[in-house]
Parts: sequence; C-alpha cells; structure tokens
Amino acid sequence: MAGQLVKEWTAIQQFPAATQEKLVDLLGKLKSQNVDTLTILVMGKGGVGKSSTVNSVIGERVVTVSAFQSETPRPVMVSRSRSGFTLNIIDTPGLVEGGYVSGQVLDTIKSFLGRLLLTKTIDVLLYVDRLDSYRVDDLDKQVVQAITDSFGKEIWHKAIAVLTHAQLSPPDTLSYVEFFSKRSESLLKCIRQGARISKRDAQNFAIPVALVENSGRCNKNEGDEKILPTGTPWIPNLVQTITGLALNGKGGIVIDQKLIEGPNANDRGKLFIPLILALQYLFVIKPIQKRIKDDVARETRPSWA
Amino acid sequence: MSSSAAPAHLLPLTSSTASRRRNSSATASVSRLHSPNSIVQPNLPSVAVSASLQNPKPSKSPPFLLNYLISPKSLGPCAASCILFHLAKPVFSGSGTIFNLGGGGGGGGGGGAGGGGGGGGGSDGGQGGGFWSRIFSPAAIAKDDEPQQEWDTHGLPANIVVQLNKLSGFKKYKVSEILFLDRRRGSTVGTEDSFFEMVSLRPGGIYNKAQLQKELETLATCGMFEKVDLETKTNPDGTISITIPFLESTWQSADRFRCINVGLMPQSKPIEMDPDMTEKERLEYYRSQEKDYRRRIERSRPCLLPIAVQREILQMLRQQGKVSARLLQRIRDRVQQWYHENGYACAQVVNFGNLNTKEVVCEVVEGDITQLVIQFQDKLGNTCEGNTQFPVIKRELPKQLRQGQVFNIEAGKQALRNINSLALFSNIEVNPRPDEKNEGGIIVEVKLKELEQKSAEVSTEWSIVPGRGGRPTLASIQPGGTVSFEHRNIKGLNRSLLGSVTTSNFLNPQDDLAFKLEYVHPYLDGVYNPRNRTFRASCFNSRKLSPVFTGGPGIEEVPPIWVDRAGVKANITENFTRQSKFTYGLVMEEITTRDESSHIAANGQRVLPSGGVSADGPPTTLSGTGVDRMAFLQANITRDNTKFLNGAIVGERNVFQLDQGLGIGSKFPFFNRHQLTVTRFLQLKQVEEGAGKPPPPVLVLHGHYGGCVGDLPSYDAFTLGGPYSVRGYNMGELGAARNILELAAELRIPIRNTHVYVFAEHGNDLGSSKDVKGNPTEVYRRVGHGSSYGVGAKLGLVRAEYAVDQNSGTGAVFFRFGERF
Repeated sequence: MAGQLVKEWTAIQQFPAATQEKLVDLLGKLKSQNVDTLTILVMGKGGVGKSSTVNSVIGERVVTVSAFQSETPRPVMVSRSRSGFTLNIIDTPGLVEGGYVSGQVLDTIKSFLGRLLLTKTIDVLLYVDRLDSYRVDDLDKQVVQAITDSFGKEIWHKAIAVLTHAQLSPPDTLSYVEFFSKRSESLLKCIRQGARISKRDAQNFAIPVALVENSGRCNKNEGDEKILPTGTPWIPNLVQTITGLALNGKGGIVIDQKLIEGPNANDRGKLFIPLILALQYLFVIKPIQKRIKDDVARETRPSWA
Repeated sequence: MSSSAAPAHLLPLTSSTASRRRNSSATASVSRLHSPNSIVQPNLPSVAVSASLQNPKPSKSPPFLLNYLISPKSLGPCAASCILFHLAKPVFSGSGTIFNLGGGGGGGGGGGAGGGGGGGGGSDGGQGGGFWSRIFSPAAIAKDDEPQQEWDTHGLPANIVVQLNKLSGFKKYKVSEILFLDRRRGSTVGTEDSFFEMVSLRPGGIYNKAQLQKELETLATCGMFEKVDLETKTNPDGTISITIPFLESTWQSADRFRCINVGLMPQSKPIEMDPDMTEKERLEYYRSQEKDYRRRIERSRPCLLPIAVQREILQMLRQQGKVSARLLQRIRDRVQQWYHENGYACAQVVNFGNLNTKEVVCEVVEGDITQLVIQFQDKLGNTCEGNTQFPVIKRELPKQLRQGQVFNIEAGKQALRNINSLALFSNIEVNPRPDEKNEGGIIVEVKLKELEQKSAEVSTEWSIVPGRGGRPTLASIQPGGTVSFEHRNIKGLNRSLLGSVTTSNFLNPQDDLAFKLEYVHPYLDGVYNPRNRTFRASCFNSRKLSPVFTGGPGIEEVPPIWVDRAGVKANITENFTRQSKFTYGLVMEEITTRDESSHIAANGQRVLPSGGVSADGPPTTLSGTGVDRMAFLQANITRDNTKFLNGAIVGERNVFQLDQGLGIGSKFPFFNRHQLTVTRFLQLKQVEEGAGKPPPPVLVLHGHYGGCVGDLPSYDAFTLGGPYSVRGYNMGELGAARNILELAAELRIPIRNTHVYVFAEHGNDLGSSKDVKGNPTEVYRRVGHGSSYGVGAKLGLVRAEYAVDQNSGTGAVFFRFGERF
C-alpha cells in the first residue's frame, strides 16, 4: 500500500455497540489466525449498490454515491486500519456499459489492482446484485464470465454473493425466506454457469450469500443495529461471512503481472516454434517448390522451341 | 532494294527504352525499327546475283507496296523472298531435272497476290479484278499521273503485231495490257494466275526495249516454261499490249515428296552443256548429274517441315497428276507458308529437284545460324568495346539462337525481351543477316547500346501542405524530392549499387527522411551456372501509418501511430521461372513507433468517453518503450503460373511468407509469423488464343491465412479491412489480430476491352484479437470480422467499384489503382 495513506478506522466507533463488539471480535479472530490484512474486491453490475455497501461496511461516506449516474468512474480503494489490522475494500465501476460487459472497465480494474496491490492477494470478492430483481438473464452470466476470465475460476472460492435491497416485501404468494432462497438459488446457478463450475464441482464452490440493506430506512433492532426482515443484524453477519471465507483455507487470488495483463498470448506455443518451423519447411515450402518444378516441366513451349 | 520490304525481313527487333530505369517493371516492348536503313546496309554486299535479275523486281511497283499494307500475311513471305534473292544462285538448268525457283522467280513470288492483283487493276477490262481494282485504283491513278509525259507513242499503225526485236531501242513504250497465252490450251490465263508474279511488267508501266528483252530472258531461264515468247501489239492510242505465249514446263507425275534442308550446302552448280555433245555424252552427262543429285540428297539434313504438311503436299501431287510448274509454285508457297507461320522467317524454298523421277524433292534453305555476334555500339551507333561481359548476354539468349540452330523470329523476339529485362541497355537489336561466307547461313547479330554505368539524379517537388485552418499557405510550401545515384553493371556482371534519399522537406529533412541503399549481385552461382540466384543487401528505412491503431465504424478519430523501420536486410533470391521465386535472408531492424507529433509513443492513445485522450492504449512495441530492435529470418516462396489469355489472367498463384524470430533483440523476440496466400484464376470458358480474340470469363478464388506464434508486437499484427484485405472497409477497420483468415471470390466478365466484376469477401480474426497485447481491436471498438460484396469495372488502370460492407449495411463507391489480387 505504498503511497496510500492508511487511515485509522475511526468510523467503527459509530456503529452500535453490539455491532462494534461483534466486529472487534471478528477482527481479533482474524488476527489470531495471523491475518492482519484483508482485501475485499467489490464487483457487480452498475447501480446495484456496490458503493453504498462499501460505505455501510466502513461506516462512513467514503465513496460518493449518486442515484442515477454511473457513480464510480474508476476503482477506488478504501483502506482502514485498526490495532494493527488493515482492511482494504476496493470499490469498482459497474461492469456493464451500454448493455454489454465492458472489457475496458475490467482492464481499468486490473491495471488499478496492478498499480496498488501488485504481489498482494484478493482475499474476498463481493459479487453484488439486487435481491429485488426477479430474474437473472444472459447479461449476468456474461458479467460472471468476464470476472472468471479475468481472475480465474479460483476467485469463486473467495466470493460472496451479496444481495442488496434486502428489505423488501416479497410477492404475495411467497414468504420472505422462500423468496430469498429462490432468488439466491437462481443467482448462484447463474454464477455457476457463468464461471463454468460443473455440478460435480458445485460442492467445492460453496458460495455463501449475504443480504445487505443500505437504505437509511432500514429497520433496526433494540441495539440500534440495522437488521434484515428476518431479524438478523446484517453488518456483523456480512463481516462474519467475510471472515469465514477469508479463513476457509483456500488461498487468495494473488495479483501478479499475468492476472493484470491477462494470459500472455505471446508466450503461448513458443516452445513449439522449432517444430512449427520444421513442419512449415516440410509441408509448405517443399510442396510449393515441387509444384514450381512441375510448372516448369509442364510449361507449354512455343512451337519453335 | 526496296526499303519498304527491308524492315520485315530484317526482323526489326528493337527495343528502345528511354526511361527504363524509372519503370523497371515495364515489359519489353518490341517495336519496329525506326531507321531501317542502318540494317539494310549489311545486306547489300551479299548480292550474288546478276544485276539483271535484281532489276526487274516487282517490289518496286506501288501495288506491291499496297499489298504489303493490306494483307499482313504476305508480309512474311515477301520479305523472306527478298533474302532468298541474295542467297540463292539461279540454276540455269537445261536438263530439266532441276527446276529453279530462286532468283527472279522467288523474288517475284514475294509479290504474291499483290503482283497479280496489281495487274488486274491496271488492265482496263481486267477479269475478276474488280475487287483489286477498287482497292488499287487510287494507286493506279496516282501512278498514271506522274509518268504521263514520259512515254513515247509507238509511232506505228494500230493493231499490228510487232516482234520484240523490231521495236525501237530509243523509245519508251507504255504497256497498257499484258496477257499470258497458254499455247497448250490456246487460251489466255486469268490475271490471278501465278504466272503474273513472274513478270515485273505491269500494265500502265513504261519500259524500253532492253527491259522487255530482259524480261523475256528472265522468263525463258526461270524454268517454268518450256517455251516462252513476248509479242507486242500496237494500240491506237500509242500504247502497246503485250502477249506472252508460253508452253508450261511439265514433268512426270510424282507420288513421293521429300523435303530437305540444303542450307550451308553449296548450291548445285550447273555445268554448261556443250551443244556439240554426242548422244552418248549427253546421256553420260545426265547420269552423272543424277548421281550428283542423289549424293546431294544424302548429304542434306532433314528439314523441320512436319509430316502433316508433307502429307498435304503429297495429296496435292496425287490430285494433279502431271507435275506442272504452277503446281510446284503452289507447293513452294505452301511450304514457305508453313515456315513463315512458324517463325522461320529466313526459310526459303530454293529448288525443286529430282523431277521426272516420280519424286519431288523440295530443297529448302531453312536459315541455319552460322554465327552469333554480339556487338556494342556507342551513342553514335559505332561499334565499340562494351563493358558488359558476354556470358551475361549469352545466358539470356534462347537455345534456338545458338549456332547450328535454325533461325526463328520468335526466338529473336524472346532474346530481345530477355536482354531487355536486364535493364542494362538503351537500345537492343537482334538482326539476322545472311552469312557471306556460308551460303544459306544466317549470322545473328545482337547490337546493344549500353546505358551509362553511373548516374545520379535529383528530382524536386514542392508539396503544398495544409496550413492553419486547412488552407495552403505560402509558408507551408516545402521543397521536397529525391536524390538518387546508381552505379550499374559493375564489372560488367550486372551488379549494381543504388541509393536514394527522399524527403518531403529539404529544409527540415529530419522530419521524414527515407533512404535506401541497395547492392544487387546477380549470378551468385557464377554466370555460366544456369541456376539463377541473386544476392541483395540493402539498408533502408520506411515510415508507415499503422493500421492497427485505427478506429472501427463510429469511432471518429483514433490518434494515429507511425511505425518507422530502419535496418539492414540481406537476402538471396532464386528465380525458378519469370514469376516463381524463392527468397530467403536475414533482416535486422529497429522499429520506432511515434505519435502524430513525431514523439516516440510506447502506447496507443485512446479517446475516452468524456472526450479526453488517455495514453494507456495498447502497447505499440514489444519492449514497451516505443523502440524495438530485432533480427529475424525471412523467407518467401512464390509460385506463380498465371498468364495472360487474351488479356485475362488465368492460372494460379501461391505465396508463403515466413518471418522467423531468432530471439535476438529487445525482449528477445522469438516468433514464427507466417502467411499463406492462395489465389486461383479459373477460366470459365475455353477460348481460342490469339490477338483480338475475346478473353474468357474468369472466376477468382482467393484465400489468405496469416498467423503468428510467439512474440507479436502490435506493428506486426495482421490487420483486417482495406482494399487488399476486405474491400469496402478502411485499412484495419475490422481489427488487428494474431491469426486471420480472408476469403474472397470475384467473377470477372469481359466486356469490350475491359471487364466488369462482382465480388464477395470475408475477413475473420478467428477470435485471436484478444491475443494481441492490449487487444487493439477491442480498444478501438472494432468487430474483428466482416464481409462485403459489390460490383466494379476496370477502367484502364483504375478499378471503380461499389462495395457494400455488411457490418453497417451501407455501400460506397471506391476508385483504386492496380489489381486486388
């Protein structure tokens, strides 16, 4: 984090006491496992509430949020440290631009990571979508696919599917829990398809789902904690999921040159060049030479020759 | 000697190349010689025939000239017979076994139908001369005008027959009519008869007594007639009519035909027959002559006349029954026709022998080459010492022009073209000339004018560049141009060193300075070795706009990237045929990429949605610094058997190009970049080949695959789109990729002198755009593939076409130079 000023995580004190307690507890757990840095990458389509989630977790308005614009023109990293533990959250622009997955945005994200976090790891990916979208479509799949292409399939070991706008009233026929499980199931299915995780592999990639409600009108419990319609306070819940994932034994995604620049096509097949050259000589140049010889032999000579 | 006929038989194979050096690709132009006189001269001393024979040659009369213009077919024969005129020694044979067509007969024969036609036109009531008289009448009138006052009336009563020797030797008689009277049949022969070629007299002509007597002598000695006379009849208007009563020579019918080449053999010498010989002596004489003749046949060489033609002649003989003089004339014409049609311009029937023996022996002088002379001329046309070594020229001459071969005009033309392609000479002549020392032999003379060995040239041009606001301003008129020098034909072995420097602004040459220095070393395997390998070493630079950094449709402006290459190159080219070749060599170069303002650019720029420009586009070089150095091997093999068929290209062309990186240079570039192009020009209809015949419709199928394994800097990426890739798009508009495939089909339909065509093309990046570092295809919003179709017409060198690009569905009209394939 060279050059990046790491601020003390003061905003943690604004959380309700119960949340604070829980968070400090979780951070202590991480520290006890010798994890003193946690890097979280937040990605998703535009306008699903990535920046708001980041703001909610940090507890202050670190990223500007605007309701209508493509809010985040470029990736932003927020770093906070508390008693020797550093939390990095990278907020990114929406991956969808003009109805298509924007490779350019992905490139900016990657080069941003390359600049700030080279040789570091991404410990957790928050894949953000809305709870209140009723169906998943091809575009979601493409977004997942683009993330997979850029960071590798392994990133889904470290991913949490985050559903924002959790405080909603489900359609009449369904209970909230039913709706949530249906929605999360369809999203996970989409992720599995997009990331090309086969059914057999699905057990390996147990992607937890976390609910988020960033709205100020979010219901609160007696401890002033923001709670979900189910009654659980969501911030400690989310951080707990993050902690669990960070400690799940799978290594984080190391940011290296290869990841940033994508697979280096220049190196592909280099070993085979001598073989290719030999084949070209034997099966292209030689036959052409032979056909030239045939041409010479077959050349219609003028009558006088 | 008529100069009108001279250029034809002297093979005016001349090629003047005034500006060859500038346009080295120009094909050899074979043009008629401008000054025939210079070539006529060498022939004159070789006249071995008595002047009496040469004088009455019909070629002097205007009808002959006209005929020469009207029917080009007779050009060859007439010209050749002029050669014969010098070569052949007439045989005044009384024996009847040797029939001589040389001398006057041959010379007259050259006139061909022209002579006869002229006669018909001149005679007032000429039978069957209607056609000719219509054509010739202007000439006849013109001819009448001039000599009007120059003839004398006969001064005798009209309508009396006067013996030739009764005519006055001082008067010039005007001949109004000439008639041949066949005594055997008792009727006159038509003007179209071959006998009319025998006389040089023409109706309307003015002759004195001596000329008429000479004419009669010629007729009497030519062997065509057993008996011939010349009678004159006075006309009331002071002119005379000539009647030639004759008895045609005939011999026993023959059922065999033989054609022999008697070139380089001494002509059979007529032995004066002593009139006082006894019967026995005479028999002895005949026998010895027959023996001599048999020996002559044995010594002669077989001739080139194919069996088919011989059979045809045999047919003629069989149909005829008795062998008559006129039949022999027809045979002679047929044989000569074959030779001349096949390019043996010097071939000539000189004799018919062995008559009266059931066999007709046709003696032909085919025109054997006895010597090949290469001469150099200075600017004034004087023979001089040349710088070029003879083997260099000799290896360009076709085998058929070597000593011992029969001279063929096509081989001469080929030699001319080959020598011309050396680009060493400003003027080339290939002339056959009769060999004075060897009768019937031909000396082929190759006369060459060498170009200056060293030359330097400065050419300047002022280009008006757009100044502020796009208007050309005075201050922005820059002097530009080229300075070049050339040292040609070093050591006389066609080695050359040439250099040039070009800039568009001499005041500020560092802006864009293109230079080239090249050394060419042909005949790498020795000038006597038939293997044709040329070594080339060059030092070069170039500046090109990279099509990789081009926007797709809808992208307004992509800041351009210039790719400067400078380096050295050494390669060896082996030519297999004129078009097929194999080149291999080493290239070492430094590539610098620059932006608009000539600053080194390590990355392409891209326009952000906000309108700003960011310089973090795809990297331009492998090293990432904007400057790459690399060494690689380059090989290119081209197989091209295309040819022009009545102006349309048919055949096949395959090109394989390979750049093999050696791991030497910035970032140790190691790569294998390869391209294969296959183009087929399929002829859709069989057509007859020949000048003026329509070309066939042609279907062109074209495929181009390009690929690269290993390090691929953006400037070496394959781009899609453009007039030579996928028409209807701009250069690089479709993308830049690691592997590409282009397919095209074009149907060409000939119309008048040109053709129209329809085409469809497709280019595809095979999904390999992302394998180019920085993915310039995507960054500049290009699709990566695209198709187009359209129609076009070829207007001279320009192609005008309407192409529809299928990505946007819009069409546009394009004008392009040159060929797509």
